[in-house]
Formats: sequence, C-alpha cells, structure tokens
Amino acid sequence: MAVEINLKNLKIQAKEEIEKASDLKELDEIFNKYLGKKGELTLILKSLAQLPKAKRARIGSQANELKSFIQAKTIEKKSSFVKTTEDKEEWLDVTAPGKKLSIGHLHPLTLAARNVGEIFESMGFSVVEGPEIENEWYNFDALNIPKDHPARDQWDTFWLRQNEIKNEKLKIKNGRLLLRTHTSPVQVRYMEKNQPPLRIIVPGNVFRHEATDVSHEFQLYQVEGLMSGKEISVSNFKAVIGEFLQRFFRKEVKIRLRPDFFPFTEPSFDVSISCLVCSGKGCRVCKGTGWVEVAGAGMVHPNVFKNVGLNLKDWRGWAFGFGLDRLAMMKYKINDIRLFRSGDLRFLNQF
Amino acid sequence: MKFSYNWLQEFFNRNLPSPKNLAELLTDHFAEVEEIKKEGKDFSFEIDVRPNRAGDCFSHFGIAREIAAITKVKINEVKTSPARQKSKINENKESKAIDFICVEIKDKHTCQRYTARAIADVKINVSPKWIQEKLKVCGLRPINNIVDIANYVMLETGQPLHAFDLDKLEGRRIIVRFGKSGEKVTTLDGEHYNLDEDILVIADEKKPIGIAGIKGEKFSGISKSTKVIVLEAANFKQKIIRRGSQKLRLKTDASLRFEHGIDPNLTETAINRAVFLIQEIAGGRAAKGLIDYYPKKVLPKRIKLNLDYVESLLGVKISLKKIINILKKLQFQCAEAGPRHIMVGVPTFRLDINLPEDLIEEIGRIYDYNKIPAVFPVTALMPAKRNLDIFWENIAKNVLKEAGFTEVYNYSFIGENDSKIFSFKKKALIEIENPISSEQRYLRPSLIPNLLKNVRNNAKNFGEIEIFELGKVFRKNSNSKEKKQLSGVITGDNFYQAKGIVNLLSQKLGISNIWYNEYKPTPEESKMALWHQKKAAKIKINSKEIGFLGEISSKVLADFKISSKMVVFDIDFEKLANLATEEKEYRPISKFPAAVRDLAILVPREVRIKEVLNKIETAGGSLVRDIDLFDIYEGEELPEGKKNLAFHIIYQAEDRTLAATEIDKIQNKIIQALEKEIEWEVRK
Repeated sequence: MAVEINLKNLKIQAKEEIEKASDLKELDEIFNKYLGKKGELTLILKSLAQLPKAKRARIGSQANELKSFIQAKTIEKKSSFVKTTEDKEEWLDVTAPGKKLSIGHLHPLTLAARNVGEIFESMGFSVVEGPEIENEWYNFDALNIPKDHPARDQWDTFWLRQNEIKNEKLKIKNGRLLLRTHTSPVQVRYMEKNQPPLRIIVPGNVFRHEATDVSHEFQLYQVEGLMSGKEISVSNFKAVIGEFLQRFFRKEVKIRLRPDFFPFTEPSFDVSISCLVCSGKGCRVCKGTGWVEVAGAGMVHPNVFKNVGLNLKDWRGWAFGFGLDRLAMMKYKINDIRLFRSGDLRFLNQF
Repeated sequence: MKFSYNWLQEFFNRNLPSPKNLAELLTDHFAEVEEIKKEGKDFSFEIDVRPNRAGDCFSHFGIAREIAAITKVKINEVKTSPARQKSKINENKESKAIDFICVEIKDKHTCQRYTARAIADVKINVSPKWIQEKLKVCGLRPINNIVDIANYVMLETGQPLHAFDLDKLEGRRIIVRFGKSGEKVTTLDGEHYNLDEDILVIADEKKPIGIAGIKGEKFSGISKSTKVIVLEAANFKQKIIRRGSQKLRLKTDASLRFEHGIDPNLTETAINRAVFLIQEIAGGRAAKGLIDYYPKKVLPKRIKLNLDYVESLLGVKISLKKIINILKKLQFQCAEAGPRHIMVGVPTFRLDINLPEDLIEEIGRIYDYNKIPAVFPVTALMPAKRNLDIFWENIAKNVLKEAGFTEVYNYSFIGENDSKIFSFKKKALIEIENPISSEQRYLRPSLIPNLLKNVRNNAKNFGEIEIFELGKVFRKNSNSKEKKQLSGVITGDNFYQAKGIVNLLSQKLGISNIWYNEYKPTPEESKMALWHQKKAAKIKINSKEIGFLGEISSKVLADFKISSKMVVFDIDFEKLANLATEEKEYRPISKFPAAVRDLAILVPREVRIKEVLNKIETAGGSLVRDIDLFDIYEGEELPEGKKNLAFHIIYQAEDRTLAATEIDKIQNKIIQALEKEIEWEVRK
C-alpha cells in the first residue's frame, strides 16, 4: 500500500517539478532524480521482483505507467526549450529563392497530344499511328480524291524522288510516294485490317507544301478521329466532339457546324467553337465573328468504305481531323505557329 | 471567287437580305463568304466555293439558286431559263450559221459538246458601263464589247465562251484536235506557248487558233476591224483541260471552270444569252441556227432516297414535307416512291449529286446542322486498345524530362549543306522532288543535325543545354523507310552524365543488360566521322546494337559553328521499346548486415574500368553484392602513366552475418587476382 501512495505522490511531484524546470540542465537533473540509475522510480522498479506475485503485477503496471508519463512529460518540456532557443537564434529568409532543380520540359504538342489521347481513350477510342511517307493510293485515291481532279489542289503536296522503284505494277497501283498531307490515310489502313465497329484517333505529323507565316506551317501535327458502327449519326458526332472540346479547353465551349467539302466524307462540315479569347463577342483572334474554326469532319463517304472492302449497307461512320498546333495555340495562347518547331528554349521552357 | 451583290439581286423581284446578313446565311448553309467589299454602289462577295460546287456555283446563276433555297426570297426563273434565252434572239432567216463555219471534233472523248453561232456586222467598241462595272466588281478587266460580253455571260452562267474573228480562220473551219509538237501559239495577252500531243487545241485548217478551254489565240481574236464573229460555247473534258493547264502552267477563268466540270446542257443557254447581249450592244445579225455537236445528251439522274436513312444518318427527324420543300427549292424533282421513300430527279447542273448521301448533305445543310441535337452514340462497351509504342514513348520522354532534358520538335527535313557536313550517303537519303528550299531538300536520316542547330541557336541565351527529340528518321536502304529515333544532346565535357542518362532510361524501361562497346571506326568512316574517335561508344543491349553515345567530332562542330563540346546519344527507339518491359520483381531485403571494404588500385592509364570490375567480380564470387567505383584519380603525385581507382566493395550474404575473417579472405583473394596483372598495384 505504501508503495502505491508513494507512486501517486511521485507522479504529482514529478509533474510539478518538470513543469517548473527553467532550462535543459535542470530538466535533466529532475529526470535523473526519478529515472536515472539511482532514481526513485528506478529503485521502485528494481524492487518489484521482491514483491508477491499479485502485488507485483499491479504495482508493476502502475510504476511502468508512471515511467512513461515522466518520459513523455520530459520530452514535451524539452521540445518547448528547443523551440524557444530556435526561435531566438536561428532564422532563414523565406523570401530568398528556392534552389533551382534541373528539370526539363515536355513540348507543348506532346502535352496537348497526351491530353487529347486521354480524353478520347476515356470514350473508348484507341490511339493508332501510321507512316509519314505515304503513297498516292492511301493519301488520295482510297479517300475518294481521284487523280486529275481539282479537289486534290486542296492539299499542296511534297513529292518524293523515287528513281529506285523498279516495280512498275506497284507504281501503278499505289502511285507515287509523298509525304502524307493529312492523317486520313490511316483511316483506310486501319479499316483494311480491323472490322467495324471501331473507334480510333490518329495523331501525327502531316506536311503541306505552303509558305509559312504566323498561322501557316509546312509541317503540322494533326489528329484524326474515326468512329464506325451500325447506327452512327451526325448527332453522335456533335456529342463526342463537343465533349472533347469542352474537356480539352476546360471551359464551356459552344460548337457550330457549317457545310464544307471533303471528298472522303458526305455530308461534310467544319466545326467552329465560340472564341475562347472574347467568349464569342468578337475580337481580333476570331476576326470579329465570335467563332474560330477548329476541325473538318463528316460522315464517312461510301466510296471510302468500298475502297477498304466494307459493305455499305451495314456500316456508317464519321471522321474528323484537326490541327493540334492550332488547338494548342488557343489553349496556351501561343501567337506564332512557327514557335513549335523553332527549338527555342525561351519558348519551350514555359511548358 | 468574287461575286456582285447587285447582280445577284437582279435574279429576284424582292429585296435580298442586307449584304452582311446574306453573307452570314450563305456561310451557314452553303460556303464561306470570306470578305465583303464595298465597290461603288455595289458590294463584292469573296465566296470560297468548294470544288464540288464549282460546276454550278462558279456563276451568279448558281449562287442565286442557293440564295433562293436558303432565304424565303423567290428566284425569278425566267432569267435563268434556257428557253427564254433562245426566244430573245433575233435571227436573220437569210443566212445560216452552217454556211459560215464548219465544226469538226477529231476525237469525241475530248469534247462532250460544241456549240457555235455566227453574227455578222457587229460593231466592236467599248462595252457599256453596266457591264464594265460588274466585270470590275468580279475582278475582271474590261477589253471590248464582244470579249466583255463573253466574260459577262461566263460570270453569269458559269459557261466559258470564246469569240473568233471569222475572216481570220483558214478554210472557215473549226477543228478540235490535239496539238502537234513543234506547233506554237501566241495567246491574247501576247505570251508564247509550245504545244504538244497532250494539249487540246482549237484549230482552223492550218494552224491552232486557241488552246481549247484555256485561252484564245491573239491573231484570230476580236479586233477593231472584226466584222463577223464566231461564238464558241463548248464543253471540254475535265481531265484534258486540267492536264493541259498544268503542263503549260496556265490557269485561266475558263480552265478553272472546265477542270471542275460543267453541265453540257449549259452551252446552249449561255451562247443564246451572249448572242442576245451582242445584238443589243454591238448590233449585228445572228445567222440562223445553232451549230451543235452533242453526240450524247446528258439527262437528269434519278436517286431513290430512303427517308429512314436520312433520319438515321443525320440523327434528327425532319418531316417529309420539309425534305421535299428543301429539295424543290434546290430545283430537284421529287416524287413519292413507296413507303418512306422518294424518287429525286437531279438537275443536270448538279454534277456533284450522285448518291443518297449527297442528297442528305443538301437536306442537312439547308435544314441547318446546328438544329441537329447532340446525342452520344449507343454502342458496345469496347475498351480502348492500349498502344504500347506510345506508352513507352511517354515513359522515355518523362524520364528525360525529369533528368533535366527539354523536348524539341524539329522539321523532318535537312538541307544540302547539312548532308555534306555529316557526309550522309546520297544513296540512302530520300530526296524531296519539290522542296520549299534547299534547306529542306532531304528527309532527315538522323535527328542530330537539327539538334545541333537547336544548340547553336540557343547558345546566346543559355549556357548549359540539354535537349532531346523523339521522332521519325528516314532512310532509303532500310526495310521500312521510316523509324522512330530518340536522340539527345548535352553540352560540355559530359560523356559520363550522358551515359548515366542512357542507363537511367534503360532502367526505367525495365532493361537491365545494357552495356557499351568502344567505337572503332573503319578508316573510311573515320574520315567523315560524326563522332569523336576516342570518345564514342556503341550502346548495346544483350547482343543488339541499339545506338550510339559520344562526343561530336570537333570538325562537325566547327562546320556548324558551335564552340562548346557536346555529347550526344542516338538511339533506335523501336529497338529499345521492343526490349522494354513493365515487369518488376521484388528482391527481399537481406536480414543480415552488409559490410563495406575499400580497395584502391594503381593501374596503367589505358586499363579499362570494366576489366578491373570484371576481375573483382570473378574473384569475389557471390558474396560480393555490389562494387562501387567512387574515385578515379590521375595526377602529378602518381607515377607517370598511372591512374588510381578507388572502390567500395559491398559484401553481404542472404543467410548469415558474414564474419570479418570470411570477408578478409575474399578481399585478399580479390587483391591477389588484381595483382597478378603486370603493373597493377593494390595500395595498402
């Protein structure tokens, strides 16, 4: 019994003394007084072995509890000392600049392409790629753009010199080699190998033989989209493209379709969005119209299905294409398309 | 193409919407009006008529028909009716056109229709103001009344016309035939052209008097002294005119229309309209009759349209009444053809309409695509396929970015000069037939030339530069002409940093067995080496070579005018991605402590680190967990030609704590093995 009372008193006493301690040295002395080699509590703990079993358990647990209590109290008190000395003697200038870590930057077109891929993948579209060197068949004929037709003039083409191709038959079937002027040939290549229904997007480089300026480039990054199935309509296209644009720009975006002509779609239309700069009020970017054209699209032309060997009665689909450069320009407010391929680190380091 | 607002108004009895509103309507339902310009009392509309509609809408007629379909304003059909045009002509019953001129078509595949009329006693003069003004609004220059009328009728109807001076035609004959090599022609504007068998011409008995469908000839054309004119309105084959125009590099208002195709039935309307205007303006007596070569009359097509298909393709319900109304306004004939079907007669001027889908486009655009609701498709739940190429690309780009490299996109071209500096083999290069300039003459066979240019261009703003590109390179001799390559540059004397980056990259792609082999150029290679001959390595994985790592030779740097050294890695990304794996396996952490012993050794300078490491590994056996080279030192204090290497050797067993004596034994074994080599000396 005496030991128990002693423990209670010890607790009150220790608590008081620890709280009163005025510096680290004093605190150490107090701690040792109880828990040092010959400390009061240490002695009690050591004497436990001599007690009868029942008592030993009870007192033992109380003594151990007190031990934890003193330890915790001491640490708590100690940290308050440390804190006050730190506050007094050490400081740093938080306004000085952080250490510069050497980390690089991804190209804005990579960032934009990843964003596009992510959005379409969430809607079940697979991302596929195709060759940048194409032949006339895939780039034009298969897409219902016949030879000797002025519709071809819409695509100013880089042709490849190819003296080495000896196989005349191949030459006639596939035509001359060129740099693809759009990603649309991949529609044909993919449909030749995969049965509908299908959903794909095709990102990649395309080439146009054009003079360059702030909004024109001879090498562009395009994204093509294709969805085919049994019941696919213009209305579906509007929903999917609208969802994409909304998510890509992270903004409420109004879309507008207007008639256009592409030989590989029928009906064909172009897609405009409400100007992101002026929200449709009219400004320099949208030339006062409140709208900016972003994509060409339409329902897949029956001849394209025919050219990949599909039965027209069963399938329909829509396709679209847009310049990622242009979308990235709008998203990041880039004012000159030529910056993308300038390699200028003052530009690239901002992404 | 330019159109006159006032002229369009003439086809309507009621007022058209204001120019601005009309432009908006046309843009929303037909084609973009790119610009409206005030021209005196008129407005010129620049309309981007798409190639499929050139056949009927490179004309004021065509645009007026569109306006009638889009707005509620009714077109004055009398103005565009062929019969009406004919009834207006005042024919001289005493002379017959066929007595004036004889027309012969040598090859019927070249010309679907050829109509001609003769008019005597015309007075050549300037044309009246109202014609001149309209031509000017549409961007044409007035010449004289006959030529101006021909142009006016072309702008109105879309049918090009040409007028000859009958007295200048040898044998009073018009022959449509191909040119002959050696034949020459001087066009109305005084330019000279050499003809050949691909160029279709209009000729008299002796000589060409015009390039068919493209441009008239100077001496047979209308002049002040012309008395009798022969007027031509023909329909030449699209492809022939297009090829001829491309070959001669001569594009005209006429060739533009012919190459897009025109309705053959239009020649008659146009020629009658022109004769009427000539009589009104230049006087003269029209000879009786129309000379008309028209072996196969083109009749309206008929297309059966399934209304359910219309609804399901557009995704909106449009009433039958509305559909018929739209088609009729566009001058299609409609008749019901069974349940939910109509039979549509297509006017011959609509060359672009061949399929039900074409009709659906007409319905959709006039109805307004914007009235179609947006509804998500109902479809089977098919997850997107994973694209591993892109997956690995993304990982590689992320690793490099995090290691401090910035990604660039360069053009896929290199110039003549680059190709010389790099001594690329001409045979392997893919050449552009029509490059924009010599700077873009070849497709790039390597990413390095453009990366070096990036470094040069950024040097004035940045000290240290670390950049990379992942893109296609092109070579003629490989199986596939294009492949993905990954290349990076780091400026300065940074070989080991670059090597570390390549190691990190391979590690993150799950590839462990990457190693480097000294590059030993053949004598031929060394003459044109891109790489510094002593500071370059082949990057290998297993036994496959996947790329190069090394310093760029000082000669190449000098040629590119770059002053700092730089290290480049150049990796075949397709090979790398093929070896990459996502599989990872955890190796349990040993419960037993590791012990570290240091070892320093003096070896001749030319000894490869790999040799030393191999010896330590072999002698040390399985208890050597890791060997870490922490210092390489070459300095004055050391004997001549020697270097000092210092290693931490980490010992650890999976199943026990190693005793000091056991470790000492292995360490001694290692030392003995190393010292067997002549001139290797372990420092104690």
